[in-house]
Amino acid sequence: MTITDLPQPNPGRARLLGTATLLVVAAGSAAGLFLVPADALQGEVQRLLYVHVPAAWLAMLSFFVVFVMSVLYLIQRDPKWDLLAVSAAEIGIVFTALALVLGSLWGKPTWGVWWTWDPRLTTTAIMLMIYVGYLTVRSFADDPDKRARWSAIIGIIGFVDVPIVYLSVLWWRTLHQPPSSPRSMAGEFVYVLLLNVAAFTLLYVYLMLRRYRLAVAERHVEELRLTRDDGRIT
Amino acid sequence: MGDSSVAVRLDKISKRLGWTWALREIGLEVERGSSVVLIGPNGAGKTTLLRLVATLLKPTTGTGEVMGFSLQEDADAIRYRTGLLSAHGHLYGDLNALENLRFAAWMGGVSVDEARLRAALAKVGLDHVSKQRAREFSSGMQKRLAFATLLMRRLDLVLLDEPYASLDSDGIRMVDDFVDEWRAGGGTVLLATHRRGLAVRKADRVAVLQAGRLHRYCRPDELEPADLDPQPVVPAG
Amino acid sequence: MKSSLALRTWAILWKDLLIELRTKQSFSAMVFFAALVLFLFGFAIGPDTATLSRLGGGLLWIAIAFTGMLSLGRTFQSEEVAGGLDGLRMYPGEIRAIYLGKLLANFSMLVVLEVVLVPVAAVLLQLEPWGRFPLFVGITLLGTFGFSVIGTFYASLTQHLRARELMLPLLLFPALVPVFLGAVNGTTLALAGDPLDRIGGWIRLLISFDIIFFVVCVWIYPLVLEE
Repeated sequence: MTITDLPQPNPGRARLLGTATLLVVAAGSAAGLFLVPADALQGEVQRLLYVHVPAAWLAMLSFFVVFVMSVLYLIQRDPKWDLLAVSAAEIGIVFTALALVLGSLWGKPTWGVWWTWDPRLTTTAIMLMIYVGYLTVRSFADDPDKRARWSAIIGIIGFVDVPIVYLSVLWWRTLHQPPSSPRSMAGEFVYVLLLNVAAFTLLYVYLMLRRYRLAVAERHVEELRLTRDDGRIT
Repeated sequence: MGDSSVAVRLDKISKRLGWTWALREIGLEVERGSSVVLIGPNGAGKTTLLRLVATLLKPTTGTGEVMGFSLQEDADAIRYRTGLLSAHGHLYGDLNALENLRFAAWMGGVSVDEARLRAALAKVGLDHVSKQRAREFSSGMQKRLAFATLLMRRLDLVLLDEPYASLDSDGIRMVDDFVDEWRAGGGTVLLATHRRGLAVRKADRVAVLQAGRLHRYCRPDELEPADLDPQPVVPAG
Repeated sequence: MKSSLALRTWAILWKDLLIELRTKQSFSAMVFFAALVLFLFGFAIGPDTATLSRLGGGLLWIAIAFTGMLSLGRTFQSEEVAGGLDGLRMYPGEIRAIYLGKLLANFSMLVVLEVVLVPVAAVLLQLEPWGRFPLFVGITLLGTFGFSVIGTFYASLTQHLRARELMLPLLLFPALVPVFLGAVNGTTLALAGDPLDRIGGWIRLLISFDIIFFVVCVWIYPLVLEE
């Protein structure tokens, strides 16, 4: 008896998506770096936001995807939902770290400090920790069913937690000092930003496809390596 | 749903634990009021099978019924009528004998009147140590106390995992007496042991497990000598 | 007759508290550990009583959180010593009683710890909760309950993981951020007399967190124990 065959994404379509993604990301980067002038107040540093904002958006999107996949897994117990969840978690953690680093890099010349306990930044950091917890639990669980089930539970609780964390940090900041001014953008900047958001979202979908394929292959290897006909572990 | 003349019916039950198939396509039927002994070497799956019948594990594939209730859907109804005495007694060392019984009674839905608890202790010969902490008991006494927790409940099916372990001849006789008594009262007994002997001879049927498979399921007189001393399975390749 | 949820919850609560009572050493170890944390803070921050007093709410809750973290797993460890959760799962009836019973046991033990710790903290950190004492007690109870709700849940989940001493804090602390902020800020405001009456928001936050996570954890719990 083997694990049910998992659906695989079509390789031809993946290549097409990859090419499209490359083009749009190149366009977005070119626009952000060369097409648009530097911000009047913030200078060249503001260009970081063209990557920081999409990264933050994807971090949150991924978190939501992990949540949805976790729920689907717990309901249907189909391993493909679990593999999609871990793909989203791995990609999500990269974008979360990226968003944090870029946010910090942008903050230093703009506000003079590396870290401001800004509600959004702080919540993103907490989100990173939840991602780390999710992936660490997976690495410590050998049994595939338990691994999938426990990480699904953490994915769900983490998702319920994040809005409450955000509200509590926001409330905490308003108590101690007024919240930092929102980063508003004018005119052409918004278009470039949206272009980059679209580019990164495409990149996200592409990465998800590749990572999922890898996860399916990993799962088959695991299964082949560890299951033997007489029922003993190698 | 509901009771039937078959206490346990398993149909192609397989259980995967981690990456090992601990049970593979087990199919058997146990009649009500009978006793079945599970034998097999360590790791054959005896404990896994008992835990699965006790609804502590859900089957990976296959279906089963206990007392007519489905393993998948009516697990709670099964737990109501089934008791498992595992190799470890599930006693709380810091609680005394009476308190351990009181806890078992509360959890098992049995009325907790002191006289009843004492009677159960007396039945297993422990009423003189009712206020002693369970951690101070010898392993034989702990087994007796574990038996008492089962005796208090009204059970149709009793699952015993290595009940003879760490018992002296008095204790072994006590186990056999209980098994006889349960059966006389219409109860069904499934007993796993790697020690052969009296239990196997007195059983209605013997189930021989090897590497998760049901090697043979027959009456005691139909057993082959090889069944009682199975060779360890050598992994292929 | 099947036991009701209430009876099973009570049975587990009774058992766990009785075991805790019988092993008195672990409770006093808890108290000393918490006091030690407070002392360490005193050494780290310096003997300036004004600063210590101002930070008092936060320091108290760090001591409670760290000590609580170490004690959350105890009720599940006592099951492991007794042969595993199979024993409890064998009984008929609602399996969530296990979570509820242990949640209440953890909550009770933490409250008893706080009863001892608060006077110690009051002395070491020059705190004066007497001004708005009912508010102080209310915030402490709400915060402790929230801590116990998610702490008991994750303690159960990590029980069978490798490196569980690390996994529990790793999972627990991000989830606890709202409780921690609410408890620390609520306590600090209660101690300072809350002249601008800002404590209401924190109380609402704590109550919302407690309710939301209580419902979620109770609901999901059977999935944690499934095999």
